[in-house]
This record gives sequence, structure tokens and C-alpha cells, in this order.
Amino acid sequence: MIAARHLSKRVETAAGPLDILTDIHLEIQARESVAIVGVSGSGKSTLLGLLAGLDLPSAGEVFLSHYPLHDLDEDGRARVRGELVGFVFQSFQLLGNLTALENVMLPLELRRDRQPREQAAELLSRVGLGERLQHYPKQLSGGEQQRVAIARAFVTEPAILFADEPTGNLDNVTGETVIDLLFRLNRDKGTTLVLVTHDEHLASRCERLIHLEAGRIVSPVKAASTA
Amino acid sequence: MIHFPLAMRLLARNWQSGEQRILVAALVIAVTASTTIGFFTDRLGRGMTNQSAGFLGADLVLESSRPIAADWLVEARNKGLQAIETLEFASMVINGEALLLSGVKAVQDGFPLRGEIRTAAAPFAPDAATQALPLPGEAWVAPRLLTNLGLQVGDEVEVGAHRLRITRVITFEPGSVGNPFGVAPRLLMRMADVAATSVVQPGSRLTYRYLFAGHEADVSKYRAWLAPRLGPSHELVGVQESGRAVGTTLQRTERFLGLAVLAAIVLAGVAVAMAARRYSERHFDTSAMLRCMGATQRDLLGLYLPQLLLIGLLASAVGCILGWVAQYGLLYLLAGLLPVAPATPHAWPALAGFATGIITLAGFALPPVMRLKDVPPLRVLRRELLPLPSRAWLVYGAALCAIVAVMWRYTDSWPLTLSVLVGGIALAALLSLLALLLLSLSRRFNSRVGVAWRFGLNNLWRRRQSSISQILAFSLTLMAMAVVALVRTDLLTTWQAQLPADVPNHFAINILPDQVEEFASSLQAAGVVTEQLYPMVRGRLVKINGTAVQKSVTKEERSDNALNRELNLTWTTVLQADNQILTGRWWQPEDTGKPRVSVESKLAERLDIKMGDELGFSIGGETLSAEVTSIRSVQWESFRPNFYMVFPPQVINQFPTTYMTSFKLGKEEKPLLRELVARYQAVTVLEMDRVIEQVGVVFRQVTLTVEYVLVFTLLAGFAVLFAALQTSQDDRLYEGALLRALGGSRRQLRSGHLAEFTALGGIAGLLAAMGTECLAWVLYSEVLDLQHSFHWHIWIIAPIAGALLIGAAGYWGTRTVVGRSPMLLLQNQ
Repeated sequence: MIAARHLSKRVETAAGPLDILTDIHLEIQARESVAIVGVSGSGKSTLLGLLAGLDLPSAGEVFLSHYPLHDLDEDGRARVRGELVGFVFQSFQLLGNLTALENVMLPLELRRDRQPREQAAELLSRVGLGERLQHYPKQLSGGEQQRVAIARAFVTEPAILFADEPTGNLDNVTGETVIDLLFRLNRDKGTTLVLVTHDEHLASRCERLIHLEAGRIVSPVKAASTA
Repeated sequence: MIHFPLAMRLLARNWQSGEQRILVAALVIAVTASTTIGFFTDRLGRGMTNQSAGFLGADLVLESSRPIAADWLVEARNKGLQAIETLEFASMVINGEALLLSGVKAVQDGFPLRGEIRTAAAPFAPDAATQALPLPGEAWVAPRLLTNLGLQVGDEVEVGAHRLRITRVITFEPGSVGNPFGVAPRLLMRMADVAATSVVQPGSRLTYRYLFAGHEADVSKYRAWLAPRLGPSHELVGVQESGRAVGTTLQRTERFLGLAVLAAIVLAGVAVAMAARRYSERHFDTSAMLRCMGATQRDLLGLYLPQLLLIGLLASAVGCILGWVAQYGLLYLLAGLLPVAPATPHAWPALAGFATGIITLAGFALPPVMRLKDVPPLRVLRRELLPLPSRAWLVYGAALCAIVAVMWRYTDSWPLTLSVLVGGIALAALLSLLALLLLSLSRRFNSRVGVAWRFGLNNLWRRRQSSISQILAFSLTLMAMAVVALVRTDLLTTWQAQLPADVPNHFAINILPDQVEEFASSLQAAGVVTEQLYPMVRGRLVKINGTAVQKSVTKEERSDNALNRELNLTWTTVLQADNQILTGRWWQPEDTGKPRVSVESKLAERLDIKMGDELGFSIGGETLSAEVTSIRSVQWESFRPNFYMVFPPQVINQFPTTYMTSFKLGKEEKPLLRELVARYQAVTVLEMDRVIEQVGVVFRQVTLTVEYVLVFTLLAGFAVLFAALQTSQDDRLYEGALLRALGGSRRQLRSGHLAEFTALGGIAGLLAAMGTECLAWVLYSEVLDLQHSFHWHIWIIAPIAGALLIGAAGYWGTRTVVGRSPMLLLQNQ
């Protein structure tokens, strides 16, 4: 589903060029769940950005499904994202001026879906927010906001879901509920899940761990169990 | 791709959060200002064009100071033209004890040959066109004549020795356009009644107008026949000449008001740009999120541009409606001064105002909003990522294009557009530099002031780019207002100051030769001190050293007033007290009867007349030649009878002569005028105090109009202030919260803001005072010919007014910063 070959990212800094990722090689199968782990500054988020086509590598290739992201321009990559990808972020990234329902409808509307309202409402019910459709993000708790974000990510039934520290802004109990929800939907929808996290507990629920250190993969480890 | 429903939903939600209010308000101001002036000038312009032939009252008009040869009229009728005669003169009109100088026009049947008179039953009642004329024994009068004399329709007035009953009020009359701001209100009467007034005597100052109308070809033929026969006292005016004069006046007014509106539009544009930039920055995250969800650049444009367009359409529509209402205010302020009734409003000024709104929006808001499509999607992971800043040439280029497009509409001339643009940029640059200097100077006081002022002054310096643009906006507006107010008060007080207690304030002209002694003794009997009585002969300067004056002078000199009208010529042996011989010598007994003339020095300088030159005059159809034997300086401001040309006795006394003098009358002595005018019907008394009063009224009205338009500029200035406040709102909220968390009180925070905006307003006021002083100096010395003195009060009033106005507005604008809980704010951050 996802393939990266000899992927590198180098940025120019005042102190000279800085290699953030070096020669990354990986493949992720359809329906697989993978956690990218590592300390701060190890290049986790950069790798996620490259795999999701949010950024271009300095060298190497990235394939999403059969699309060569490294060969596409920004609009081309946007179309691929629209077709295949969903996102969940640490800071939720909900639009403050839109209600929970409208936030979830947004990706459907961008795709000109026929009945965005019904689909969005249904998914919000599934994440337990059926009673809060008309609430604005600031009227919701952090956990509720992240559930809206998860609903928004799954509403287009993406083939791949990228999640960046999805529990980073939540307390343990709320984080646990959100993780349960994420993995449940992932399983139900048959989605490929790639997540970046510090949270060992969260990482342990993935089928595979990719450990980054100073921009290199050190040990692709099979996780002990799946959720 | 346009996502219209989604775009509208986002727009509605953003609207509720108040994000676009400043942008909309600024646009509304720009469109309102533009539409108001658009409606005003369009209605006036069309009012004038509609009545273009009607203005003149004929296809061709021949003006003359005396009756023309009878065969000229016969020839006109032979050529198939209609021809009628009108007579105009100034005369005192009397009602009981009240009297008023009026411009009397006597007409014959058939007047006007073209166009129509409009009358009303009472002053300010609805008017209508009429084919009728006053009947013998009746008069139609301008509204002002009624109000000034305390009369009503149906009352009687005296004109000379004759009583006329007022039956209608005139609102428009062809042929009166030459002097729309004229001082003497019109009285229209029958030619047949003129003899009974006894006003018209040999030597009286009269204007005969002969009106001709017919087929175009016949008019041209007659014009060709007439042209070689015209003398220096004749003037031929066709529809084209009349239209041009009117057009120029209108164009000047339009340009003048246009500049004020332009300033309002540019300031509003700056506010729009600031607000749009803020709007754009607040939507970076949304754009990045939408990009993640697969939105392409076109999708983003399809989301944001319809929102911007709808904002533009709505704001422009509101502006058009407000402009339509505001034009009535402008017309009301200028009521009574307008040469014609404004035409019914057309739609196009609204369309033009609408276009101004869209152009302003496109020029100032499009570049920042276009940045939204370039937000990198990676921003969802790395907040610090920003789209590339809009290229400077794009931002300034778009704004410049918008300004030039709008400006061109007002100036209608590329050179003027360019010079205004270059001048404006230079002025803005200079003021910015001065503002920066003052800001940096103000920092020097930092260590000597309290914490609130330090906080305020630091804020100004830290956001100096935005501070300077606000200072610029307000200093320009305050400056324009101050200059207008200054010129108004200074002109009026200067004129009044030039009438000190002992200076004559009345002129009596048209005194007949056989009444001279009697008139003088009547004044003496009443205890009124008069100047000498001067004989007056009307004649035109036609030749200098044998060459026709129009050929011997340059093109600029040709337009000299002294060449284009009849001069008052006089003779005397006594040199006026305030005159001084600069070269040559004053009359000796042996000069009597010799063709010699003494010339006023400034006229001599303008027309390059030197000692010994031979001047040719046309007087009553005869010519007379005289040698220049002296050049005199004259104090025109003395309000004593003064003359360009003074002859020795017995040179021009064979021509029809009247006499003039000036005298001083106190307010309590005014009833004497009534007696004088009743007794000497031909005499016209010019009450200079009334004239100055009337000029003052006109002047106040005109300056009020300019100030009315400047209010838009001031509002646009406030839009800039609030846009700047909005831009810095997040920073301010954070700072405020931090200061309060560190133990600062609300009061301290409030004082800080108050200090900041008071300082901003004070600096803007100080700059405005500087600018006003410079501008006044140039205006006074170059245009108005007034003595320039230092206006110390402007240096006090402008900074205080600026500080109060902007201090209060800024205080109000930052109240939310103070009102929020510090805890909440820190959590939000």
C-alpha cells in the first residue's frame, strides 16, 4: 500500500545542510497498522509528512497505492490525498467556525459527495457524539474534539489513515478511549494505519513498530499483539 | 472548482465571528464616498447639459453695454432669426426700511428663445417650467430676495421710482449661469416697466443682451455677418462658448471634491488591505487542513474568491444606497448656490461606485487572499510553516493599479493622475519619515514617564510600520480639515479686518451729473463723511502704441480682466491720498485738456505699458488716444474709489458720465440709504458689508461641502485604525493576559492603551499642524494673496484634537483586551 525507497530529506539551515531523514526504506501492506516511534527530533513527523505526500523528499521515491508521490506536483498529491488518505492530528485541527457536523462534512463536500450530512451524522453517532452534532469545537472537551477529528478522518473511508500523536493532547483515560475508537474504526473499515507517537502503550497496539534514530530506521520490530 | 454552498457557509460563520467587519466597513466607506460624489456631479452635470441651449436662452447672444444699431436686429430678422432684447442692471430694491442690491433683468415677450424659466409659488416650494413671463407691473424674484427683504409672494417692492408686485419665485432662468455664485439676487421684470423706474440714465452701468435663435445655418450666417461689425464693447456668445465656461466650473468642482474622495478611497483601501491580510493569516490553518483533505489550489480559490466577491458585492450595494442618501445632504448644503436644478438621479453613478468597491477590493484584498492557496499542507504538522509572502510588486502593483483606475475616473486626465499620484507618494513618504522621526523622539521620553506611557510608547515603536500608516491616515485627514477651516476663517476675517472703523463701507455709483451737488449735500446734511465724487466714463483699452491690444499682448495677458471688460475711466486734479506716483509726474494745470493718462502700476506691469506709450481707448463707439505720462501705485484694499486710468480734466468729459463716491455708514445709519435710493432712483449703492457677508455665506457653504466630503476621509482613517487594532489583537490579548498574570491591574492596562493611542493621535495632530502651516503658507502667498501669519492655535488644537479623537477610538477598540480573564487567554495560547 505504501512504499518508500531510499528516502532522504535534507534541509538548509544557517549552520549548513541538515539531514533529517537518511535512506529510509520501508513497505507497509494494506490493512497493516504501523507505529513510527523515536525521540523528539528523530524525524518521525517528517517521515509521516513524506509518506502522506504533504512534503517532497530530497531524494528517493514514495508510492501511495500505485501513485508515485515524488513525481507529482502539489495539486496532484492533493488529489491522491483526497482519494486515499485521512488524517488525525495531535491538535485536532478542527475549524472553529464550523459545528462538529459541518467539520465532518467538510471532506465529503470537497469531494462533492451527494449526501454529506447523513454520512457525517452517522459517523458522529458511531463515535458517540450523536447528541452533539451542532456543537462548536470550543463547546467540546479535548477528547470529544479528537473524536470529531477521527470521525472526519474516517468519513471518506480512506484506504490509509495517518495519525500524528493522536493522544498527545489528551489525558490517559481520554487517550485510551480515543485509541480504542481509532483501532475499532480501523478494523471495521479495513484501513491501513500509520501513526507517529511517543506513547509506548499506543505503539504497542500496532502490528509493527518502525524505530527512528537521527533520521534512520534502526529496528523494524514486530509488535507483540494487535488491538 | 467553485464550492459555492461550502463557501457561503464559511462566509456566514466568519461573518458571525466578526472577522470581516472592518473589511466590509472600509469598503462601504469607499463606495459611499465615491457614489455620493458620483451622484452629485452626474446630476449637476446632466442638469447643465440638459439645459445647455436653455442656459443661454438663445442660440446666440450679443452682449453690449449700450443699445446696438437697429439695423443689426433688422438684419437678424431678415435672415430668418428671432431676435429679442433684454436689459440687465444692478439696482437697490426696497421694501419699507429694508433694501437690497438686486440684479434686475428686464425682458420682452418671447424670452427666453431657448430653454425655459422655472418658477415656484413660494421659496423652496416645488418648481415647474413655465412659458409665461411676469405681467407689466409684476416681478418674479429669487428666493433670497424675499428672505432678505422679509417679503412674501404677493407683496410689493420698489425698483427705483416704480412699484412692482411679486407674483412668482424664480428657481432657474436662462442666461444667469455666467455667475452662479453671484451676490445680487435676481429680479425679473418687463422691459415696458423699465422707463417708469427712472433707473436707466445716460452713463448708467447697463448690460444689453440681444438673444437670437433660428436654424443652425441661419445663425451661422448671421454670426459671420455680425463678427466684423463688432466693436470692443460687444461680446458674442454661442452655445459652445457658454457650455465650455459652465463645463470648466463643474469640472473644477468635481476634481476638487474628487481629490477628497480619492483620499478616502485610498485610506479605505489601506484598511481593506490590512483587514484582508489578517483574514488571510487567520485562515492559513484552515487552508492547510483543506489541502490535507485533498483540496487543490483551484479548490481553495473556489472557496475563498466567492466569499471575497460576495463581501465586495454586499458592501458595494450598501455603499451605493448610503451614497444615494448622502448626495441629498450634499445638495442640501449647496442649495441656493447651484446654477441649475439637479437632474433626476441615474443609475450609472451607483454602478461606478459599485465598480469602485470591486476595484478597491481586488486591488487591496486580492493579493493577501491569494496567498491562501499557497499554504503548504505540511503546516498541519509544523505550525511555523507559512506560505511565501506575496511578492511586493504584486501587492503594491495591484494597489497602485486600483488607485490609478479610481483616480483616473476623478481627474479624467493622465497628466493630472500622474502628478497627483507622484505628489501623493512623495507626500506620504515625507510624512512617514517625519512620523518615524517623531516616534523615535518619543522613545527618548520613555525613561522619564510612568509605566503606562512607557508601555504605550513601546507599543507604538514595536509596531511602527502599522503606527506610521495610522499616523499618516490621520495626519492627512486632520490636515485637510484644518486647511479648509483655516482658509475659511482667515479669508473672512481678513476681509472684515480690511474694513477698519473709519474706512468707507458703501459705494454709490451711477450718480447723474446734475445730481452730484445735491447728492453730496444730502450726505453732508446727514453728517456722513464722503470721499471726493469721481466722474466715471466707461471705456475699453483697445490699442497700445497703435497695435490692437489683443495682438500686442501675449496669450496669458489676453485673458487679463482689464482687457475683457469696460474700465471705469475718470479725471481729477487731486491725487488720491493712498495713490503714489512711481514714475512720471502728476497733473499740472497745463495738462488740462491734453490727451494724457496716468496708469495703475500693476496693470502697466502686466500689459508691459511704459511711460510715453500711446494708449487707445474705445468710449461709446468713439476712439481716443492718450500718452502715458505717469504710473501710479494704488491701494485697492482701501475701499476708496480707485481707477486704473486717470485723465486730466477736459479730455473725456464729452462722453456720457456718471459719478461715484464712497462713504462710511454705521448700522444705525442704514435708514439713510432708503432715503437716498428713493430720491436718486438711478443711483446704485453697493453695501460692501452686505457683499462681504454674502460672500461669507457662499464661502461657508462651499467649505462646509468640502468638510462634508472630508468626513468620509476621516471615517476611512478610523477604518485604518480599527484594521490595525484588529491586526494586533492577538498580540495584544496575549500581552494583556501576560501583564495581568504578572500582577498588572486592568487600570494599568487601560492607561497603557490610552497612552498609546493618545500619543499616536498627538503625533498625527502635530504632523497635521506642520502640514497645515506649510500648505497655508503656499496657498496664502501663491493663490489667495493673503498675508501669511503663524497659526499658533493650529499647533495646539490639531495635536489635542488628534489625541482626544484617536485616544478615545483606540481606547474603545482595545476594551476587549482588558475585559478578558488572563487565565482563559493563556489557555488559548
